[in-house]
Amino acid sequence: MSLDELKENKIAVVANLDGDSRFISRVTSIGLTPGCRLRVVKNDKNRPVLVYSRDTMISLNRKECLGIKVKEVEG
Amino acid sequence: MSTATIALLGQPNSGKSTLFNALTGLHQHVGNWPGKTVEKKEGSFSYNGREYGLADLPGSYSLSANSDEEVITRDFIASGKADVVCILADSSQLERSLFMTADYAGISVPCFLVLNMADVSREQGKQIDVKTIEEKLGVPVILISANDKKEYEPFYEALEKAVEKKTMLNVSSLENTYEKINGYSEIKNIIPDNLIPGYSTMWLDVKTLENDPVVMEKLKSAMDKDALAKIEEVKRNAKGAIETGGAKFAWIDDVLKDAVSDSKDTMTLGKLDRLFTSKVWGKPAVVLTILLGLILSFIPALPLMGIGMVVSALKAPVGDLLTTVGCPEFITAILCNVVIQSFSFIFQMLGFVFGVTLVFGLLEEVGVMARISYVFDNTMGKLGLQGKSVMPFLVSFGCTMGGAAGTRVIDNWGQKVLTIALAWAVPCGAAWAVVPMLSTLFFGSYAVVVIVAILFTMLLHMWITAKIFGRHLVKKEDRYGMIMELPPYHKPKWGALLRYVLGRTKDTFIRVSKVVLLVCGVFWVLSYSFVPGSDPILYTIGEAIEPVTKIFGLKWQLFMAFIVSSIGKEGALGVISALFNGGNFSGAFYDAMSGGALASDLNDTLLANVTKPEALAFIFAITFNMPCVVALAATYQEVHSVKWTARIAIYYTVGAMILSMIAYHIGLLIW
Repeated sequence: MSLDELKENKIAVVANLDGDSRFISRVTSIGLTPGCRLRVVKNDKNRPVLVYSRDTMISLNRKECLGIKVKEVEG
Repeated sequence: MSTATIALLGQPNSGKSTLFNALTGLHQHVGNWPGKTVEKKEGSFSYNGREYGLADLPGSYSLSANSDEEVITRDFIASGKADVVCILADSSQLERSLFMTADYAGISVPCFLVLNMADVSREQGKQIDVKTIEEKLGVPVILISANDKKEYEPFYEALEKAVEKKTMLNVSSLENTYEKINGYSEIKNIIPDNLIPGYSTMWLDVKTLENDPVVMEKLKSAMDKDALAKIEEVKRNAKGAIETGGAKFAWIDDVLKDAVSDSKDTMTLGKLDRLFTSKVWGKPAVVLTILLGLILSFIPALPLMGIGMVVSALKAPVGDLLTTVGCPEFITAILCNVVIQSFSFIFQMLGFVFGVTLVFGLLEEVGVMARISYVFDNTMGKLGLQGKSVMPFLVSFGCTMGGAAGTRVIDNWGQKVLTIALAWAVPCGAAWAVVPMLSTLFFGSYAVVVIVAILFTMLLHMWITAKIFGRHLVKKEDRYGMIMELPPYHKPKWGALLRYVLGRTKDTFIRVSKVVLLVCGVFWVLSYSFVPGSDPILYTIGEAIEPVTKIFGLKWQLFMAFIVSSIGKEGALGVISALFNGGNFSGAFYDAMSGGALASDLNDTLLANVTKPEALAFIFAITFNMPCVVALAATYQEVHSVKWTARIAIYYTVGAMILSMIAYHIGLLIW
C-alpha cells in the first residue's frame, strides 16, 4: 500500500520507493529509506500526511505519498 | 594576521542562519551567487588573531544536483574557496540530520561537525557522547546551542583545530557499506580518477548510481562510448539512490551506535501543533497568527515611522528657510519635493520592513512558519507556491512592501518572485482608504457590491498572474509537493535575530533609497513647470493622449491621478481635486502625500466632473495599479533583478488599464 492509505497512529516500514531519481533523492534525504520505521501522526484529506520517523516529524504532500510504498507492522 | 574561509553547510532548520548571524553580527553582506538567482550571504569575524571569512551556503537536504541551491553549494565547496566546511546537524534529530554529513563524505575539503540544538536534545532526554562520534569520524565534533552565545568557546576551538590540522572525514567504514551495494564496485573500476577535481572516486561513484545530472554529464564528456554503455548497464541492474541512501543511513546508525542513549521512541503533537494540524481550526489559527504578527510588527516599526513623519514635517520650514535666504525656487523644489519627500517615504517604509522582518523572522526561527507551510500547502500548491506564501499575501492587505519584505522566508527564488507578483494584486491599506470612500460617494449603498467585485477581481487577477508568470518562474519539473520536516519549536536568539534584522534594514535602506530617489526624481521632472506659466511635460502628454485614455474610461485628469497612484495611492485624490479646480498639479500631489488636507469641496468636484462609469473605471485602475514606489523598491530589494521588477511593474500598469476599460464598459451598460 502507499503511505497515504495508512491510517492515523499505524506503524509501518518503508517497502519501496517509486519515482524518478529526483523524487528518490528527495525522499531518501529526509530519511525515508526502505526498511525504515515510521508512524502516521496525522492523515487528513486535503492536508499533507504527517509521519514520525528517525526522530523527526515529517510532512509529505499527498501526491508524493503515492510513490512511497509501505508495509504495515504491529506496534 | 592569517585568514581562513569557512563555509556553513546544513539542512534547513539546522540553525545555520542563527549560527551565521551570531558569528558575524553586523559584518555581513547579502547578495546573489554569480549568474544565479540564489541569495548569497557572506560575513566575517575574527578570533584569536585570525580573520575568518564566512560563507553561508544555501540550505538543502542533500548534495544532489536537483536544484540551483545544491549545485551552488557543491561548486563552491569543490572550487577550494573554502578552507574548511562547517557541517551542521540537529542533535534533536541526529540520525536524520547526519545525512548531509554522509552525503558530504568523499569531498576533499577539511571539515568539522557541529551538533546544534543541544538544548532541545537535552530536553528530549537524549545523551550524546561526542567523543565517540569524533573518534569514528576523525574530525572535531561539538555539541552546542547556537542560540546561546556562552557556548561558543568550543565552537571556536573546533574551528581552529580543523583549520590548522586540515581534518578530513574518515570514510573507510562508509565505503565498506557502499561496497555491499549493487553496482558500486563495477562502476568504481570504470570511472577515471580525478574526474571532477575536489571529489573522490567513491563520491562520484555514488552520485553516478544516484543518476546525478551534473556527474552524468561530466562522465559523458570524459569517457568513451563503451565505458559509458557499461555504466548504463550496471545502473540498470542497480537500485540507485534507494540503495545508496540506505547505505548512508546504515553508516549513520553505525556512527551513532554506542554514542547516543536512545530517547523516547514516540512523539506526540503538542497543544499548539494539535491546533495547527486540526482540520477545522488549522487555517483560522494560521490566519490569526499572521494578522497578530502584522499588528505586532507595527510596534517595532513605530519609531522609524515617526522619523519619517518628522522628516516630512521638515518640508515646510526648510522650504521657507531656503526661500528667505534667496535660494532659487528650482533648487528649493528639488530639495523639498524630491529629496525630503523621498526620505520621508523611505523612513516610513523602513519602519515597516524592520517590523515585518523582525516579527516574521521570529516566527520562522521559532518554527511556526513550517506549520504555516503545512496548513496551506494544498491551497498554495495550486498556484505553484509554498504554503508559506500565504503570509505575504495577508500582510499585503496592510502594506505591499511589508508583504514583499516577508517573502524572505521563502527559500526558492522563483516562488519568491511569483509570491511578490501575486501579492501586488492584493489591495493594500492605502487602497482601502481611498476605494470605499469613492465607492460610497458614487454608488451609495452599492459600494458593498463594488468592494465584493474588487475582492473577486483580486482572486481572478492572482490566478491569471500565477498562470502567466508561473510558467517562467516555477518550472513544471520544479513543481513538486512538499517533503519537509516540522522542526521542534526553538527558543529564539534575540541578539542574533536583532543584528540580522538591523543589517537587513540597513541593506534595504541603501538599495531602496536609490530606487525611490530615482523614480521620485523622474516624476518630479515630468511634473515641474520649468518655465513659469507653462504646463509641465506630464500635463501636456496627458492632455495629448486623452483620446486614448478615454478608451479606458479615464479623462486626462483621472489618468494623471492614475499615474500618480503608482507613486502612492494617497496622492491620487489630491491630484484629482487640484486638476479639476485648475490648481497646481505637482504641488497638490506633494501636499497630499505629506498628509495635507483635501479640498473640502472634493466630493462636489468629483460628482460634478466624473460620471459613474468613469468612477468605476478609476476605482479599478488605482486599486490594481502598481501599489506604490516603495513597494516597487522593496520588490527590487527581495528579487535582486531589475528585469523581473520591471516586468512586474509594467504588467501591473497595463493590467490596471485593461481592468479599468472593462469596468468602464460594464459601467456604460449599467448606467
